[in-house]
Amino acid sequence: MASYSRARLKDLANSAKSATELPPKLQRLRYMRRDLQKDDSVFPTELLPHLFDLLSDQFGAVRKFVAEILGEIGLKYVELIPEIVPLLIKSLEDETPAVARQVIACGADLFRSTLERVAVQGLHSSELNDLLESSWTWLIKFKDEICSVAFKQGNSGVKLCAMKFVEALILLYTPHEGIEADFNISILRGGHPVLKIGDLSIEASQKLGLLLDQLRHPAAKSLNSSTIIVLINSLSSVAKKRPAYCGRILPVLLSLDPLSFLKGVYAAATNLALKTVFLSCLKCTHPAAAPDRLTSALKEIEGGGQAAKAKDLFYKTNGSIQDKDSVEDTKVSVEENPLCASSDVAESNLSRKRSGSEYNIDLNGDASDGKRARITPSVSEESTDGLNGNDGVSLPRVASTSTGPSDSRGVSDSGPAQQLVGLFGTLVSQGEKAIGSLEILISSISADLLTDVVMANMHNIPPNCSSYADGTDELVMNMCIVGSDAQIKYPPSFVAGVLSLSTAFPPIAALINPHNEDEEVYSVHVDQQMFPAEDARTPPGLLATCDTSFPENEESNTVSPQNVHYIGNRESGIPGLESSAQHDGSGALVTNVLSSTNVEAASKNQNASFSGKLLVDVIPSMSVDKLEEFSPKAVGTVASASQFVLPKISAPVVDLSDEEKDSLQKLVFLRIVEAYKQISMSGGSQLRFSLLAHLGVEFPSELDPWKILQEHVLSDYLNHEGHELTVRVLYRLYGEAEAEQDFFSSTTAASAYESFLLTVAEALRDSFPPSDKSLSKLLGDSPHLPKSVLMLLESFCCPGSGEVEKDLQHGDRVTQGLSAVWSLILMRPGIRNDCLNIALQSAVHHLEEIRMKAIRLVANKLYSLSFITEQIEEFAKDRLFSVVSDDCDKMDLDLKSPPNKPQHSISGMSMETPSEATSSSTSVTEAQRCLSLYFALCTKVLRIFTILRLMTNLVFNIYKNASDPVKQAIHLQIPILVRTMGSSSELLKIIADPPSGSDNLLIQVLQTLTEGPTPSSELILTIRKLFDTRIKDVEILFPILPFLPRDDVLRIFPHMVNLPMEKFQVALSRVLQGSSQSGPVLSPSEALIAIHSIDPARDGIPLKQVTDACNTCFAQRQTFTQQVLAGVLNQLVQQIPLPMLFMRTVLQAIGAFPALSDFILEILSRLVSKQIWKYPKLWVGFLKCTQTTQPQSYKVLLQLPPLQLGNALTKIPALRAPLTAHASQPEIQSSLPRSTLAVLGLVPDSQGTQTSQVQANETQTSQEQQQQQASEPQQTSQSQQVSVPLSHSQVDHQEPSQVVASQSQSSPIGTVQSAMSQSQNSPIDTGRSEMSQSQNSPIDTGRSEMSQSQNSPIDTGRSEMSQSQNSPIDTGRSEMSESQSSPIGQSQSSPIGTGQSDMSQTPQVSDSSAPEPTSHTRTSDPQASSQTLRDDDEKIDDTATSENEVTEIEKSKESSEEEEEEEEEEE
Amino acid sequence: MRFRYAMVCSSNQNRSMEAHALLKRQGLDVASYGTGSHVKLPGPSLREPNVYDFGTPYKQMFDELRRKDPELYKRNGILQMIKRNLSVKLAPQRWQDNAGDGVFDVVMTFEEKVFDSVLEDLNNREQSLTKTILVMNLEVKDNHEEAAIGGRLALELCQEIEGNETWEDTIDDIVAGFEKQHRRKLVYSISFY
Repeated sequence: MASYSRARLKDLANSAKSATELPPKLQRLRYMRRDLQKDDSVFPTELLPHLFDLLSDQFGAVRKFVAEILGEIGLKYVELIPEIVPLLIKSLEDETPAVARQVIACGADLFRSTLERVAVQGLHSSELNDLLESSWTWLIKFKDEICSVAFKQGNSGVKLCAMKFVEALILLYTPHEGIEADFNISILRGGHPVLKIGDLSIEASQKLGLLLDQLRHPAAKSLNSSTIIVLINSLSSVAKKRPAYCGRILPVLLSLDPLSFLKGVYAAATNLALKTVFLSCLKCTHPAAAPDRLTSALKEIEGGGQAAKAKDLFYKTNGSIQDKDSVEDTKVSVEENPLCASSDVAESNLSRKRSGSEYNIDLNGDASDGKRARITPSVSEESTDGLNGNDGVSLPRVASTSTGPSDSRGVSDSGPAQQLVGLFGTLVSQGEKAIGSLEILISSISADLLTDVVMANMHNIPPNCSSYADGTDELVMNMCIVGSDAQIKYPPSFVAGVLSLSTAFPPIAALINPHNEDEEVYSVHVDQQMFPAEDARTPPGLLATCDTSFPENEESNTVSPQNVHYIGNRESGIPGLESSAQHDGSGALVTNVLSSTNVEAASKNQNASFSGKLLVDVIPSMSVDKLEEFSPKAVGTVASASQFVLPKISAPVVDLSDEEKDSLQKLVFLRIVEAYKQISMSGGSQLRFSLLAHLGVEFPSELDPWKILQEHVLSDYLNHEGHELTVRVLYRLYGEAEAEQDFFSSTTAASAYESFLLTVAEALRDSFPPSDKSLSKLLGDSPHLPKSVLMLLESFCCPGSGEVEKDLQHGDRVTQGLSAVWSLILMRPGIRNDCLNIALQSAVHHLEEIRMKAIRLVANKLYSLSFITEQIEEFAKDRLFSVVSDDCDKMDLDLKSPPNKPQHSISGMSMETPSEATSSSTSVTEAQRCLSLYFALCTKVLRIFTILRLMTNLVFNIYKNASDPVKQAIHLQIPILVRTMGSSSELLKIIADPPSGSDNLLIQVLQTLTEGPTPSSELILTIRKLFDTRIKDVEILFPILPFLPRDDVLRIFPHMVNLPMEKFQVALSRVLQGSSQSGPVLSPSEALIAIHSIDPARDGIPLKQVTDACNTCFAQRQTFTQQVLAGVLNQLVQQIPLPMLFMRTVLQAIGAFPALSDFILEILSRLVSKQIWKYPKLWVGFLKCTQTTQPQSYKVLLQLPPLQLGNALTKIPALRAPLTAHASQPEIQSSLPRSTLAVLGLVPDSQGTQTSQVQANETQTSQEQQQQQASEPQQTSQSQQVSVPLSHSQVDHQEPSQVVASQSQSSPIGTVQSAMSQSQNSPIDTGRSEMSQSQNSPIDTGRSEMSQSQNSPIDTGRSEMSQSQNSPIDTGRSEMSESQSSPIGQSQSSPIGTGQSDMSQTPQVSDSSAPEPTSHTRTSDPQASSQTLRDDDEKIDDTATSENEVTEIEKSKESSEEEEEEEEEEE
Repeated sequence: MRFRYAMVCSSNQNRSMEAHALLKRQGLDVASYGTGSHVKLPGPSLREPNVYDFGTPYKQMFDELRRKDPELYKRNGILQMIKRNLSVKLAPQRWQDNAGDGVFDVVMTFEEKVFDSVLEDLNNREQSLTKTILVMNLEVKDNHEEAAIGGRLALELCQEIEGNETWEDTIDDIVAGFEKQHRRKLVYSISFY
């Protein structure tokens, strides 16, 4: 069997060798391998050469396979290893990487198995057999070869495997915990013939170091990412499996930043590997795992999520695995981690220099920490000894304290610190060689740990230090020498480090300079001095140390000899204080010191001695920081100073009286404060300010430290960083006040706070210009603003009148205050309301300047802040309302003609009488004071139209109830508002529906609106509509008059005339002026004609108004020139009937322009031809006119028919004589008819004249009567006339009222008439009967006109028929009917209207001359006025009368069938 | 050089099987695995997935799903997918449970979570062979379309690796080239058997 297989194997080997193709070769080899695995017998040694031959086969695959087989053989037949391994070693350099990799893989297997064998064999015997030994030797060689591959520079796949091999090696060489199936090196005991566990561990550690070195920065750069990944993975697996190495591995991994030397994909791969490692390390419970750093590193890699998970993971695993360890223990271990990590870092940094020490420290760490000792089983005594033996460096004291297990238990409470002390000791003992390492070590230790180390070192301080107190001068010198020497070679920071070290570690110091015992002693002394000594001195008082230094300044008599000595000592030691010593008892110590040439030194010393020492007393905990801050030199001086103090310190006990103490304290404080002047100059005052503030709090309050501080602050606010100091002080005080320790201290602090802040604020106000920002900055930065400060602020913003005059800069002051308020509102929600109130109060300040500033702030800045918008609005509204209510109150109090006021406001926007204006002038400003804020806000919310509309509406509503001053104020304000709004739709809405009573305001608004360019058509439309529907006051149309169409203007002309003359003037000028675009609306002549066409009775306008209007026109001679007048007269004279005021105008024209007289005469003669005597009123005027124009008018007079001539002469008797004289001229007399001459008495026909005179009289009276009667029907007709032709909406409204009015009018008049003339029952009847009686009756004409105007052409025809055909009016009527086509035109030129007004007017014209008509007019005038009055009343009352009603009324009135028919027809 | 490949996704259904099928067709030595705890397939709603144990034959899943709701599973492509799978191999395999499958040279994963699981598993195994294994992750969304794309990319990548004598020396260039060409991130790691 065996032989068969041997033969077969040989065959296979041979055939494999001889085969030329790869597949058959591999095939054979596979068979061979299978056979070999099957075979348990002794290996056929003769096969080996064949295999060795195959190992150099041409095919890589074959070589690889053979190597694999050889490896298997080696595993199986140990005795063959010495033969196989050399060949394998050779194959390591095979050109095919796969072969080399295979060789390494084989090597790993072989190595492991052999190691196990060796170890196991060594357990049982003290000697190994030769074979195994030689195998082992070969394998060691093999191992070294592979390791050299692993640590070779460069990248290759082989290297990856080699590194893996190294990893395996490390794991094999180090003991591990737990009962794993794996081989554990810990089975080795002392006395193993070959293997020494210590050696193995060292080797493992070295190899690990080499691996780590590859990852360190410069080396890592040359690696590719696969190598790095494998390295990382290997290291992590080592770290996981041998947690003791965590401390070495993790720092390297953590500090690895692949991004710095790899890019893109490589970095990503590496990062990923790192991440995996860290995550897996987090599961590790070993204290060196540094979970915190791992998490943060993970965070860096991952950016969050994973790290959180990681942390959870950490805690979970720790919690679950550490069954024994309490949570506290975990914490401890966490705390220790930084130490371990950093020490490892330091140590590994050192490793190149001192190869042995790292391991030592590792062991130290393991041994001293109980927990870690558990994880890594402590190495046996023996091996430790061996280690120490190996270690080249001997550590006499430190090593013995920390390595020994018994010792380590002793110091276990402060283990890490103690170790560090040891480490320091070791390093220091090496002298300058180790300086670099020391530096690294110091820099890598955290402050906390350093403190611990220092504290730990305290134990080492010899207790009897005071005995070394002498020989001090030398010490200082030595210190300096050491320092300066060092400075030459090393950076100052290091010198500082060494110095502080040497002061902190007496044993170390001793090691540095064993011969220099003084120094060590000195430093010990310092330590003791710093802490225990000062503690001992605290009880006597805060200023105990100061006590010793200052008594002689104030009260030299109390100085004890010891003190003098002490001072002397100081003098010699600290040059800066020389002056203070020299000026003993002068009392001006501080200034002297400061003024001395050594200012810098002095201040430094002060720093050192005061802030250093005094404050050490106050805050013991701060002393360390404080001292750390100082430069080495400062430390030195402090140290030396205290060093001098010590031996003498027990002596000075001085009894001081309370006052003395107080003054001393005060002086001290002063001096400290003075010192701050230097501090602030040299910078770095931030920390010290806090100290000063604290000092102030601790200072006895009765000494008023705050005043001193204030003086300091204010003496030079800017240079002393007054703001910063003040804020510090304030915060300190505030904290004190809020701390609520007890009532007394907190209230004291609160009041101190308040007064401090207030004083500073006031001082700032007084000493800085208002433009300075310090104050507002202070207010902004203070922790809290008490009432008094707010009041100060208020006095800025709302100064009383007295203050204002005093302070010339009050304007800027207000700005300053307001800007402070503004920033406070923005920054401090807590006092926002208070500040806002200040601003608002200021916004209603009585001085306009202040008010405007505040309003600007409120409206522009504050109002836009949403959180206070409402408040501001409320306030403004409140003010607005308050104006109204205040006013009402005032009026009630005044009792000053309350009914008078509304009348005023209705009567228009003309301001009150002067007297009233003055009386209310104050209240106008008052009103404005309250209103301007609201209006300012209104303009601000323009963008939000709805709000604006509401606000504007509010203004309108307020206006309604407001008193005059308020109204005035509103009038002053509203244009701005309106201008900003423009004619927006919102405003138009308000205009379209104004609250009642706000007409004047409305007018003002409109005026403002139309001030600018042409108003929009919507605006005009709105106004017109408003005028048509709601507001009858024609004034609202004024602003748009120039823009109205001509017809509209003519239509409203009567309303204009009805206004007071000034207003009419305004309106007239507007109309005449027109707009710039469209030119004048009316020409002067048109205007004048329009005036004339007003019928006082019909239009309800007092005659007086019309005449006044005429007068107004005449007054404007530039406009109404001679030509204009001539044209007007020319037109008027053609009207039928003639306008009532025609003759008056003619008379006026003559008066105004005498040159017109010829023209007038022509007019007169035309009037004669028009039978002017038929218009009684005009007739009087005509006669008057002829009288004025005589003698030229004689010719006209003579043209009159005899009857009328007679009448004229009767009326104006003065004419008779001159006229007769004129007529008696032969040539004239001859041309005159006889009858005329008879009237003149030139021809004897006295009787005829008489009768004619009588007749004339009779006619006149009857006419007068009839006129009265006729006026009534005419009234009716007028109303009808108006109602019928007008088709506007206005008519709908007016018609019924007018008709009703006429109805109510007519009945009483009717009765009067019936009383006057019994025969005539109805006025219309009268009219008609008159018509039939005498065709000449003017009323008749009116009547017929009336019927004609009733739109019935038939009717017209009929009435014309009924009239005499030759009636001169006939022509006029035909004109009329022509003009009837236009309704407005008709109303304008309505002959009836004119006729009627003529009738009522005539007496007035003749007022001055004819007494009789005057009396008549007197009777008729009141009637007319009463009519108009009633008209007004009725309008209001019975506007709702329907048309049917009207018809009925008319029917009842008009009895004639014809008329009824007319009505029917009309309907 | 013939390498052994493993395609790994979470359920060994979609992405890994797509790649498996493709690579197999191209004659590569390939296996496929999932790393999840169960095989999860979409169900009628998000909260009712179909859950199977690894090792459940694809045929069985196919029959079950077809019985449950043929319409639904046809519409969402599950049935077609499983049909494809059952032509490739018998049942889904779990990576962690199949360490005995032998030594792979290259493992492709299609999700970072899977990648991590594979690495963790490899690290937890006893590494005594000193044999490298390349683990690469190519992010592929778990839907049919993306899986098809991912499969093609995996094939391309594996062919590239196959073309080299040893990937250990060239992997950086291969990965860089792949990233540049396809603008897809590729992460890899190296572990040992």
